Amino acid sequence: MKIEDVVCTFCGCLCDDLVVEVEGDMVVNVENGCTLANKKFMGNNRLKTPIKRDGGNWKKVGLDEAIQTAAGILLDADRPLLYGWSGTHGEAQTIGVHMAELLGAVIDNTSTVCHGPSIMAIQEVGHPGCTLGQVKNRADVIVYWGANPIEAHPRHMSRYTTYADGFFLKEAFRERKVIVVDIRKTETANIADEFIMVEPGADYALLSALRAIVRGKGDVLPRTVAGVEKEQLIRVADICMSAKFGAMFFGLGLTMSRGKYKNIRNAIELTEELNRHTKFTISPMRGHWNVYGSNEVFTWITGYPFAVDFARGIAFYNPGETTSVDILKRGECDACLVVGSDPGAHFPGDCCRHLADIPTIQIDPHVNATTHLSRLQIPVAVTGIDAEGTAYRMDGVPIRTRKVIDTTYPSDSEVLDKIYQIIRKET
Amino acid sequence: MRVTLETKPRKKPNIPIEAESIIPHNFLRGTDLSVYEGNKQRSLDEIFFITVEGPAVSPDQVEVILKGDTGRIKRVGEYMNAGKIVVEGDIGMHCGNFMSAGQITVRGNADAWLGREMRGGEIVCHGNAGHYCGAGYRGEKRGMRGGRLEVLGNAGDFLAEYLCGGEVIIHGDTGDLPGVEMRGGKLVIEGSCTRPCGNMSGGTCLVFGQVHDLLPTFEKRERTQVDFRGMNVTMDTYHGDVANRGKGSLLVRSGDHA
Repeated sequence: MKIEDVVCTFCGCLCDDLVVEVEGDMVVNVENGCTLANKKFMGNNRLKTPIKRDGGNWKKVGLDEAIQTAAGILLDADRPLLYGWSGTHGEAQTIGVHMAELLGAVIDNTSTVCHGPSIMAIQEVGHPGCTLGQVKNRADVIVYWGANPIEAHPRHMSRYTTYADGFFLKEAFRERKVIVVDIRKTETANIADEFIMVEPGADYALLSALRAIVRGKGDVLPRTVAGVEKEQLIRVADICMSAKFGAMFFGLGLTMSRGKYKNIRNAIELTEELNRHTKFTISPMRGHWNVYGSNEVFTWITGYPFAVDFARGIAFYNPGETTSVDILKRGECDACLVVGSDPGAHFPGDCCRHLADIPTIQIDPHVNATTHLSRLQIPVAVTGIDAEGTAYRMDGVPIRTRKVIDTTYPSDSEVLDKIYQIIRKET
Repeated sequence: MRVTLETKPRKKPNIPIEAESIIPHNFLRGTDLSVYEGNKQRSLDEIFFITVEGPAVSPDQVEVILKGDTGRIKRVGEYMNAGKIVVEGDIGMHCGNFMSAGQITVRGNADAWLGREMRGGEIVCHGNAGHYCGAGYRGEKRGMRGGRLEVLGNAGDFLAEYLCGGEVIIHGDTGDLPGVEMRGGKLVIEGSCTRPCGNMSGGTCLVFGQVHDLLPTFEKRERTQVDFRGMNVTMDTYHGDVANRGKGSLLVRSGDHA
């Protein structure tokens, strides 16, 4: 059976035009998907039943026992950490936030290691952004800064930018100019009209220089900035100022390099400066498919987008203090619940060691690096394949993901709700 | 009155303690105070051995001494308005948040956000200070607004972010972007630093050590002479941050920036 208009749940693009062929409880073919989508829909290696560490070995346990164990660990903790959330649907994220409030826990999502700095910058100076639809139909200048969509968001350029014809751009490939800023010549840089190779860690200086040029203060600048000739910067500033509609997209090359959120703030302020001359927008290239959703859900319930600390019964937020990496590095938390993420694969070694030292529970369909640090893992359905739920695209548009196969796995929401009900009775 | 708080051994010593109740003013009413250890509220005597010596009728007559394993105790001296706090060892984050008067002495190192949004009074840290020393809270447009904050060792990144008033003096080196977004006040760095005063719009920053990666958006002006520890030092003067229409002054010891 072929199912049309299926939403991909891999990256923040949330492509909603996939055609998935299903036989029984297996996906056997995916059309329109990128390599990443195909792997996600057709992958296996699913954990069959909950597993619990028994000395040096794993033993299979029933779902009820696993849920009781998980609730017990979280109830016993003085500083539990609930981490992940970007790989699951909004309904599960909502239960997670309510659980954190009852437990007096810290709840954090994967923004902490990706676009958290983008949000911090937005909190300082706002966000002149737009939807991907606006970009597709209007933008004649595209800037990718510290992002490599050809490899990380493979259909971004064909659906929304370089190769996507829009209402006002009938021949997008010829009419759009693409500027790429990166520390190395990436695949995306190869198709750019202008490639700026910036010295590693010098993006802040480059952004400041561009702001000065756009303001008419280019005479203050030296002959080269961050390894880039001043002439090229003036040329790029001219392209941006003469655009009918410009759209800048930035990735982890900007958020996670030296300066972090100050880089993003500088990029936003450059965008604001460009808006004195033309229409220009800026947007983050969000990675995990529903990381934007976790920011939305956390914000509408707590007022803060990530790193929310409920230890005092009210929400407190301070990246650097209440962020997962910092809490784990300092060895603060005494229990951890991981949902829809794999910190074992992404976090620094010290953090992983602490996860292995404390009782860590993982709710995830697959065996992954975090499994090896955990004491308990509960397998669940994969949202967008055997469970449905709401997710947010990288531009903040909510999209309902579909269930394409039937399996016996419970969804994240079902498992979390059972744990939540036990905690609610005990607190 | 002298109040001595010495930490008791804890089963989970890494769990942070939030202790904004530790300010001289509160001890005029006794020691029946509470703090938070993780998500559990504890009375002060569950965490500390408490000794009280002598009387006091006003908070400026109260001296609080913290001893033992104090490096995980946060928010000590928050909203402090008089008196004295002496920390014999290290202190946790947010020491002296919003303090308006009084004195805090830290004999060891201070964790991040030392003197956050401080309004007045004096903080002296004999060791090193962490990131965001003398800075503001997330999204806050104004950091330290008054008082004096002196660190005898080094300071971390984002020192004096959003500095608006008062004086910050660092005897050692600092991390990245000291004085970023600063709007007023005076920042003195006796050691070296990286990318000072990004996006500054006002205030004065003096760097007597080496500046690494000076931002390109500072406009060089005339040289000037400054008194530094009794010596007459020649300083290069920069105006900026031009990217931000800034009117701040950055003075760097002549010949010491790359």
